[in-house]
Amino acid sequence: MNTNIETFKYDNRIVRAFAIATVVWGIVGMLVGLLAAVQLFFPEANLNLQFITFGRIRPLHTNAVIFAFVGNGMFMGIYYSLQRLCKARMFSDWLSWFNFWGWQSIIVSAALTLPLGFTTSKEYAELEWPIDIAIAVVWVAFAVNLFGTIVKRREKHMYVAIWFYIATVVTIAVLHITNSMEMPWSWLKSYSMYAGVQDALVQWWYGHNAVAFFLTTPYLGLMYYFLPKAANRPVFSYRLSIIHFWALVFLYIWAGPHHLLYSALPDWAQSLGMVFSLMLIAPSWGGMLNGLLTLRGAWDKVRQDPMLKFMVIAVTAYGMSTLEGPLLSIKTVNSLSHYTDWTIAHVHVGAMGWNGFLTFSMLYYLFPRLYNTKLWSVKLANYHFWIALLGMMFYAIPIYIAGVTEGLMWKQFNKDGFLQYPNFLETILQVVPMFKLRAIGGTLYIVGTFMMAWNLYKTAKSGVFEPDTEAQAAPMEKAPVVSGKTAFHRMLEGKPLFFTVLAAVAVLVGGLVEIIPMFLVQANVPTIASVHPYTPLEVLGRDIYIREGCLGCHSQMIRPFRSETERYGEYSKAGEFVYDHPFLWGSERKGPDLAREGGRYPDAWHYNHLDDPRSTSPGSIMPRYSWLLTQKMETDSLPARLNALRKIGVPYPAGFENGPAQKNLSAQADKVVANLKQGSVKADADKEIIALIAYLQRLGTDIKSATVTTAAK
Amino acid sequence: MIYNIVHSLLREAENLNAYGLFSFFLFFGFFIGVIIWAFALKQNHLDKMGGLPLDGGECRDKSPDQIQS
Repeated sequence: MNTNIETFKYDNRIVRAFAIATVVWGIVGMLVGLLAAVQLFFPEANLNLQFITFGRIRPLHTNAVIFAFVGNGMFMGIYYSLQRLCKARMFSDWLSWFNFWGWQSIIVSAALTLPLGFTTSKEYAELEWPIDIAIAVVWVAFAVNLFGTIVKRREKHMYVAIWFYIATVVTIAVLHITNSMEMPWSWLKSYSMYAGVQDALVQWWYGHNAVAFFLTTPYLGLMYYFLPKAANRPVFSYRLSIIHFWALVFLYIWAGPHHLLYSALPDWAQSLGMVFSLMLIAPSWGGMLNGLLTLRGAWDKVRQDPMLKFMVIAVTAYGMSTLEGPLLSIKTVNSLSHYTDWTIAHVHVGAMGWNGFLTFSMLYYLFPRLYNTKLWSVKLANYHFWIALLGMMFYAIPIYIAGVTEGLMWKQFNKDGFLQYPNFLETILQVVPMFKLRAIGGTLYIVGTFMMAWNLYKTAKSGVFEPDTEAQAAPMEKAPVVSGKTAFHRMLEGKPLFFTVLAAVAVLVGGLVEIIPMFLVQANVPTIASVHPYTPLEVLGRDIYIREGCLGCHSQMIRPFRSETERYGEYSKAGEFVYDHPFLWGSERKGPDLAREGGRYPDAWHYNHLDDPRSTSPGSIMPRYSWLLTQKMETDSLPARLNALRKIGVPYPAGFENGPAQKNLSAQADKVVANLKQGSVKADADKEIIALIAYLQRLGTDIKSATVTTAAK
Repeated sequence: MIYNIVHSLLREAENLNAYGLFSFFLFFGFFIGVIIWAFALKQNHLDKMGGLPLDGGECRDKSPDQIQS
């Protein structure tokens, strides 16, 4: 045994910094969410300002709660637990602070660019290319710091929490880089390298696994550290935690296509996504039971300790979400739930329950320890627990009801075989009361968070911050040669690089099996002869559609159900999207699908509808887009836009952008103006609304006289 | 009822082609391998691993009771 005990210090400053950032950004992100929620029943809450209109602040809310609230919470927990599990200070204080300030800068950039309309439109990956590069740089700094700490550790064995951290670091890097392949056309705007179906598959491979490897695996690692600490007993079954880890990281990545069921994605990929999603129940519930059973014999502590109360609900919410997720992946269930608020309820049980409650739990654990004192008010923390739980219920239950109502109403036929509710607006107005209840639930949850912030502030004031915690441990001995059944496991725990490679292979094999065939097998995207690239005016209009976040409420993907084809027209084909950089299928319907919107209404109807939706559709919850009537189109960048699109495969003729494109644009804009005049609307040809109308009128029109030819034929 | 559910799931999965079957067997083999490996580990090693979070090496350890109550 090594008697050469070393004394060293854990860095608490970085943990405190991330903890404060977690609380601050959590409140900001939740308030933005509340503002978005209110606009769904009171659209005037945007104060007619484009910067805080639903389409722009929805991605701000999702990015803020995922990357700012949970992201900072994740860093907080990892920086605290990793040092203690490795019995070593972080590898580099400089890298720790680079990680902190770099991450906060990214959040501030997001808070500025998203309301200004700079978005890629890809969900949870909306930030534009310079910020994407910054994320990659900061993430690499975090990875170097994490692996550096693991390498210089004094504890020979890597606890399972560290495995989850390693899987997170590796997978998020791969996902982020793959999904962020973009062709810039200005210093803040770009087009996705991928188009249509392939873009959709890559995006949801990313989107699903951002949930998996940003919201789940790091938090599972934190659960495996903080739950035993709080209960003061080891995890129920370490053996189960090993199975949980390997099965989960191997399985998760395959399930991405369940976000695209009944879409134009090839059937084999959809079925694969469904089957692997169902199999995910096993490791997820193994992990949940492992967490709950850790508290066996300690339930008396749960009654007294608010931190454990939050932890129990967090683990239970994890179990509920990971059961519901696979069930929603069954194609028949998904046919009802997709595009409805059911998905919103599902993700909020996960986000508010699993991530939110676990974060609150960690904060209540850490603040007294960082400030060497007791929690200021256990009573207030208990009030926080109950009000947050109540808030979550008030959020989730009405939105589940709303989701099921929407799904059923969209599919309902009358006895004569016609749609019972042909007007989409009718189905949304039916659930507006649920939207109001949801806002009350969200408010309660935020009130609870404010109570926690006050409690933590008073705790900090009542104690003295301990910037470093002194610790002692023996340096790591050279691993003895072990033979027999345990040898491989010990070798794996002792060699972080080898472990990382194995974990990366386990994680990535699923992605490779799904994505490589999608790119290599031509038959996966049947070509349609009549599908042509967008005109210059339509390109500008499409970029405005992206800027305003229209896909937050309007899908462009008609599924092959009679209820959809009756309402919207012919179902969507993979070949229709070959020039869509990025794809704009959307995942949510607060308004009707727009895939076949072209030619459905006259230009003047669109003009009036965008100016004031309630003038054409009484009761509509869509915000006014009156600024589109006055803002001028940005045509100077047209050559850069078309050039960028050509580089990524859109067949514009050589030199088209230098002259002919501008003439083409003017001619089409004049035509729209003439159409508007026929509808008694006077408009200038250089306004943004002209471009958006041109784009909307183009949607789905290619296929109307199409002859579909399959490349495979 | 259970038969109907299983039957329905299999019917929905019938479009799995070679990629799907390959994927399924790949996971199945991996999962069985992990199970065998995990159950082959010695109990004393598992006990030691499970106890790692409880020993953070702090000179002045703070138990939950000292802090919270």
